[in-house]
Amino acid sequence: MEYGILRNYVDGEWVASSGETLEVDNPATGEVIARVPLSTPEEVAQAVAAAKAAFEEWRETPPLVRARYMFRLKGLMEEHFEDLARTIVKEHGKTIDEARGEMRRAIENVEVAMAVPSLMMGYNAEDIAEGIDEEAVLQPVGVFCCVAPFNFPAMVPFWFLPYAVACGNTYIVKPSEVCPVSQNRLFELMDEVDFPPGVVNLVNGSKETVDALLTHPDVAGVSFVGSTPVAKHIYSTAAAHGKRAQCQAGAKNCLVVMPDAVLDRAVPNIISSAFGTAGQRCLAGALVLAVGEVYEPLKARLVDAASRIKVGYGLDEATQMGPVVSKKALDRILGYIEKGLEEGAELILDGRGVQVEGYPNGYFVGPTIFDRVRPEMTIAREEIFGPVLGIIPVADFDEALGIIEGIPYGNAASLFTSSGKWAREFKYRVKCGNIGINIGIAAPIASFPFGGMKDSFFGDLHGQGRDAIQFFTDRKVVITRWF
Amino acid sequence: MELGTFGAVLKFALEMETRAAAFYEAGARGGLAERFGDLARGSRKRVRRLEQARRELVNEMILESIAGLDGEVYQVELDAEAEEAERLHQARMLEETATRFYRDAAAKMPIREVVRLFERLARENEKRRARLQ
Repeated sequence: MEYGILRNYVDGEWVASSGETLEVDNPATGEVIARVPLSTPEEVAQAVAAAKAAFEEWRETPPLVRARYMFRLKGLMEEHFEDLARTIVKEHGKTIDEARGEMRRAIENVEVAMAVPSLMMGYNAEDIAEGIDEEAVLQPVGVFCCVAPFNFPAMVPFWFLPYAVACGNTYIVKPSEVCPVSQNRLFELMDEVDFPPGVVNLVNGSKETVDALLTHPDVAGVSFVGSTPVAKHIYSTAAAHGKRAQCQAGAKNCLVVMPDAVLDRAVPNIISSAFGTAGQRCLAGALVLAVGEVYEPLKARLVDAASRIKVGYGLDEATQMGPVVSKKALDRILGYIEKGLEEGAELILDGRGVQVEGYPNGYFVGPTIFDRVRPEMTIAREEIFGPVLGIIPVADFDEALGIIEGIPYGNAASLFTSSGKWAREFKYRVKCGNIGINIGIAAPIASFPFGGMKDSFFGDLHGQGRDAIQFFTDRKVVITRWF
Repeated sequence: MELGTFGAVLKFALEMETRAAAFYEAGARGGLAERFGDLARGSRKRVRRLEQARRELVNEMILESIAGLDGEVYQVELDAEAEEAERLHQARMLEETATRFYRDAAAKMPIREVVRLFERLARENEKRRARLQ
């Protein structure tokens, strides 16, 4: 086993968990690369206690000094960039380019958090009444935690941790039990950064571990990214226990293509959106809504481009799409393909049964395209989280927007057009948190919040950027008069 | 050898520059000592630049497949043990091929910063070729 039995990082030390362990396998080879422990509630309590004990001293550390820890962390992440990217490929299956992109995004968040001396500034006003001044100061809150998903195992905790810690809070990460290795490697770097003990902590585990965090009285807030049912559970449990929560959930993202779209540019972008990371990202394009006469030429081009995607092991630089993360995920995706056929959609590109030479045990499914999908079909309503794209021909722009409106999710939507008028209408009217205009993957950079509406987000303040600073601080108002 | 991804193109470029550096280092003797020494140092610097680009410029919003770039077309035989005239000939071929590769690849890359880098490398290759007259 390349990475052995993973351990927790608590109070500045690596500690073994007494919980049972699960296998972590490489989805391309099927080989077991690590074992991840399922930490017990007692072990969670130890991490929370360590984080709580570290909080007062850490919050008193000047923001500029806290920012320097972030500088050191960034330096180490750059130094170990390629190794970390390769680890992501081995635990998740995505391509090495996609893994590099993920690492880049993680580092970008550290870079933005470095600006905490400015980002954490409050505001004030003189003479709110005669001789009386008022100020609002931003103060850290306490112990926060993150429950991370498998699809961006290195990046997602970095939507939160750098901001929380830079703001003076202490932190606990619970990585995905499916892909925990890269986050454990990143904590090795945080150990090298030499944060004061208890400032950053890692607890491996699964549902019991998460519930222990959610119900612990000393945890002030939780950030979550994952499926909608789990997001609802986490949001309601956190609220019931008096915690802040920001829960990024599922998605069913539509890509609307207008007749005036520049297809030479749109098609590669749509392909990348639908099949990048084998469709396992919350920003993946899942449905193409082809408006009017663009339908036939667009369909032909999408099938042609998708059928030429090279499926293989992500560590091979030539690979354009890797396997899905697990056998369970593969079976679920194949089930949705069957469901699409049962419900009458036309399978015009079939990714089932794809064979990758040298990797007979990999969880591969090739790019799959359904045509003549109808909005009421299961494959048009539920999140497949795999490389399956549906095409829905629509008569006009308003019909496309009606379909988007009818989908319970509101994570992302994109429009491909040459018209500023349609673009303006789209970004104004569509109820999704991330809008792309001629961009199929509307991924906000670190200085912007990662949006989400409807059943795609529960909470008010999002991850990344200024939202993160708000989430991880309290505004204290001080009103002053001197005699 | 189809170069169908951002990573594949960058890997090819890195291997080409690494091979160039090794060739110039090993072949830096006789009348070519100074010029090949300079070119070897230049190649090492280019390797660092390309590694930095691969690390910093990858962007999932525009991470799209690349078509029509074949690494086989840009292969050059190099033998640092060859006679001086032959080494000089191979160096010229190497610089001309690299120029062509960076120009062709720049036209295919979806990331503006990478396009600029490749165009800059191609211009450098032309200057390096001029030193080999």
